[in-house]
Amino acid sequence: MPKRKEEPRDLFPGALEMMVLEILRRRPLHGYALAQHIRERSDELLRVEEGSLYPALQRLLKAELVTAEWGVSASGRRVRIYRLTAKGAKHLEREVSKFEQMLEGITRVLAPAKS
Amino acid sequence: MSWLRRIFGRKRLYSELSEEIRVHLDEEVEELVASGMKREEAEHAARQEFGNVMLTEENARETWRWPWLENFLIDIRYALRTLRKSPGFTAIAIFTLALGIGVNTAIFSVVDLLALRLPPIERPDRVATLAYQEVRGGHGNGFSYPDYAEIRSQSTAVFSEVAGTTSFERDGLSAGGNNEPIWADYVTDNFFRTMGVGPALGTLIKPVVGDRFHDEPVLVLSYSYWKAHFGGDPGVIGKLVLINGHPVTVIGVAQKGFHGIRELVDTQCYLPLGMAAVTGDLKKDFRTNPESIGLGLTVVARLKPGVTLASAQPVLTAVAHRIAKQLPADSEWRNMVAYALGPLSPVSDPSILNAVALVSVLFLTLAGLVLILACLNIANLLLVRAAGRQREMALRAAVGGGRGRLIRQLLTESLLLALLGGAGGIALGLLASRSIGLVKLAVSIPFALNFQFDWRVFAYGFGAALVTALIVGIAPALRATRGSVNDLLHEGGRTVAAAHQRTRSILVVAQVGGSLMLLIVAGLFVRSLESAERSPLGFEPKHVLNFTIDPRQAGYDEVRARDFLKSLLSRVRSLPGVGSASLAETVPMGGTHLGMDLKIEGRRPPAGQRPPSAGYNVVSSQYFETMRIPLLEGRGFLDSDGRASPSVAVINRAMAKEYWPGENPIGRHFSSTDDPKHPIEVVGVAGNSRGRVDFWRRVGPFLLVPLSQNYDYRMPITLQVRSSLSAAAVEREVVGTVHSLSPTMPVMDIQTMTAEMHNINSFQLFQIGAELASSLGILGFVLALVGVYGVVSYGASQRTHEIGIRMALGAQPENVLRMVLRQGVFIVGAGLAAGILAAAAIAQLVGDFLYGVSPVDPLTYLSASILLATIALLACYIPARRAMRVDPAMALRNE
Repeated sequence: MPKRKEEPRDLFPGALEMMVLEILRRRPLHGYALAQHIRERSDELLRVEEGSLYPALQRLLKAELVTAEWGVSASGRRVRIYRLTAKGAKHLEREVSKFEQMLEGITRVLAPAKS
Repeated sequence: MSWLRRIFGRKRLYSELSEEIRVHLDEEVEELVASGMKREEAEHAARQEFGNVMLTEENARETWRWPWLENFLIDIRYALRTLRKSPGFTAIAIFTLALGIGVNTAIFSVVDLLALRLPPIERPDRVATLAYQEVRGGHGNGFSYPDYAEIRSQSTAVFSEVAGTTSFERDGLSAGGNNEPIWADYVTDNFFRTMGVGPALGTLIKPVVGDRFHDEPVLVLSYSYWKAHFGGDPGVIGKLVLINGHPVTVIGVAQKGFHGIRELVDTQCYLPLGMAAVTGDLKKDFRTNPESIGLGLTVVARLKPGVTLASAQPVLTAVAHRIAKQLPADSEWRNMVAYALGPLSPVSDPSILNAVALVSVLFLTLAGLVLILACLNIANLLLVRAAGRQREMALRAAVGGGRGRLIRQLLTESLLLALLGGAGGIALGLLASRSIGLVKLAVSIPFALNFQFDWRVFAYGFGAALVTALIVGIAPALRATRGSVNDLLHEGGRTVAAAHQRTRSILVVAQVGGSLMLLIVAGLFVRSLESAERSPLGFEPKHVLNFTIDPRQAGYDEVRARDFLKSLLSRVRSLPGVGSASLAETVPMGGTHLGMDLKIEGRRPPAGQRPPSAGYNVVSSQYFETMRIPLLEGRGFLDSDGRASPSVAVINRAMAKEYWPGENPIGRHFSSTDDPKHPIEVVGVAGNSRGRVDFWRRVGPFLLVPLSQNYDYRMPITLQVRSSLSAAAVEREVVGTVHSLSPTMPVMDIQTMTAEMHNINSFQLFQIGAELASSLGILGFVLALVGVYGVVSYGASQRTHEIGIRMALGAQPENVLRMVLRQGVFIVGAGLAAGILAAAAIAQLVGDFLYGVSPVDPLTYLSASILLATIALLACYIPARRAMRVDPAMALRNE
């Protein structure tokens, strides 16, 4: 029985998915472009292993939050382009607001300790 | 069906994923090369950045997996492999289970047919049949036409349609010169609409407008009759045929599968109710005369949407009260009830319902018991295997298999066994029920016994298999996975085996007990059949041959019918070898029984009680000689008892005792309550004889009246011939004689009086019960023997080592024999005790179906116990003897 291995995730479970959805919300992209995006925007703060992007994309596909289609990239390669679905947009909205709540909660708890 | 695509389209998903990752890496490498890195370095950096490609792919793939289902498939593959490895065990297990499940499926399909299946009409659950209850406790479902009309017009609030049909009767259908009996229902105009039945061909009997009485000469055939007798020819529509000599036109064929409102019997054609007056030559108009339609109308009604049987009840009660006001006081109605239409709807006697339900429960219980016995056997076999596989299980646990996972895998194995057994069982069961369907019921009524493989039978067989898997699998699975690796790898597994032995012994005790119970119940049924067959009948059925003749079917009127019967009787009596011959309206143990309420001269029944009554038969001269019923006093019937002379009757001894106690009844008078002004004189007293299969009762009052004074030519009549010649010879002569007098006269139901006694109305039920119970008993018996033999011989083989040591230390072979036998004796003894108790409990349920034998009949209990004990101990003796011959040296070296 192969046991499910914990892939190295950044921060907390679901964060990568949330970021992917947010990027796809702006425009459809293929895997490599997505990885580039994440790297460019967060390079200094987050380290995302590019490989972990693909299991995350598969999970989103299965949950029907994104769709994938074969297309041609800017560099002329045949690539799978991911697109946010309506369900994915709703899910993203919910996740973001949950995340903001959580963030605020953590901030409040941490605030007095700092002062 | 996206999950289907997920399972079957996974290969494509995976290859797409690999390609995608490859493209990703290419892209990255190229970008790095473009920024000035060497290709080799760039490839390395890209991989570094990406992480482990294999692991990533594996993780991504896992998203699409279905661990539960996939594990299950793996388990099944594994189980199949294990089962294939021990074909002997597998074959025995599957065969045993197939027998157990087969018996259950067969019996269930009978119960399904008798009690559960609804008629093939539109929304059968919305159709009810009506019955009335009388103030004095009587009940019935034969309504007069005026009653029917009243109900139909008064109950429109709850019923959308109310239809009536006469009870099933046999007419003669003549098409193209052949005259054949056909079973017909005469139905009201709205019958088919009430049933929601449509035509397969042509049109059906349609509702008529207004108050007009529907008596068009038209005929609707049943689908099966049309197929069988007209070859499914569509040209039959519009054809002119004769019913009892009256021309009618075939207008349609009813939809396939519809065989009338009576379950089990097959109505072959339908005519408008008004035609009953024509083909039955009714003198009185039954629209106004309540008595003129024999047994009356069966009333069926379709509930309006939203109305239930319960919510319809107040309306029915109100209608019943209104009708009651118009009825003579002695048959005053108390109420009217609606029953759901279906096989269990009470035809006239609600106690039939209970009997069917009780018999069903009884035989399902017995069959269930056989299945449990089969399960116990398999559980035993599996326990043995579990002992052998404990090492395997312990090792698998040691290398990381969770206990739950192992149990699941073992259960998959027993589930697979049970399903294979179940498939075999369902096949066996259907085969068995087919053969039940082919049993000749020895009656002329066409039966509609179609055992279909419907979903209920399948669900029952499948459910039985699933339950079996659980019963059989759970204990061995728990057992097999319990041991820890440490214990197991160190011990030889002997102490664990001893614990198994205890469980197995308990299982076998249960088996012996259950099997004894089955044997005892079977024995009770057999004894009951014997005593029923041996009970005195009061007449002599041997050497009597019966023929049924219905001159009405040949289109005869009353005068011609009388002449015909008269000359037939004298011609038959003069045939060589014929001792005596007589005519009778009914035969003992037949399907028809006549009865009347009586007014006895000089006796006034106490107010509020039912009037005296008696069964009766209408017979010709020589009846007493033909049936060999002794005349005790007075005389039999003479040719001089004609229509002009005073009415006479011969009564049986029970009637004499009941209504003229301590007096001489000869010369006394009585009359029928239907015709109180017409006195009948008692001219003779005959011995008591049995008219129906009610052996548990005393013979009741019965009387015979002469055919010459009471002939009703609308009734079919039975010619009974006593002859010392062979039945075949008599049949040839008599049929020849009938046809020489009237070439088109149908001769029906030719059978010996002895055969008549074994039809479904009489002994056949006892016989079927006894045969069914016996086969279940024998099956259970064999299963128990296998169980006892298995557990004792396995126990002995496990103790070979111990026996070797004992013998090496000086134990005598007899001691060993005693030691092994002791276990068997304990099992058999405990099983017998349990079985006797269980049998006594279930016999209370059986008691109502037994005749002449007590439910705790000591002889049956004793002989079944002795039989089982003897054979079971013999089964123990074989392994015990083998143990006795153990060679100590060999036994010890084997370790």
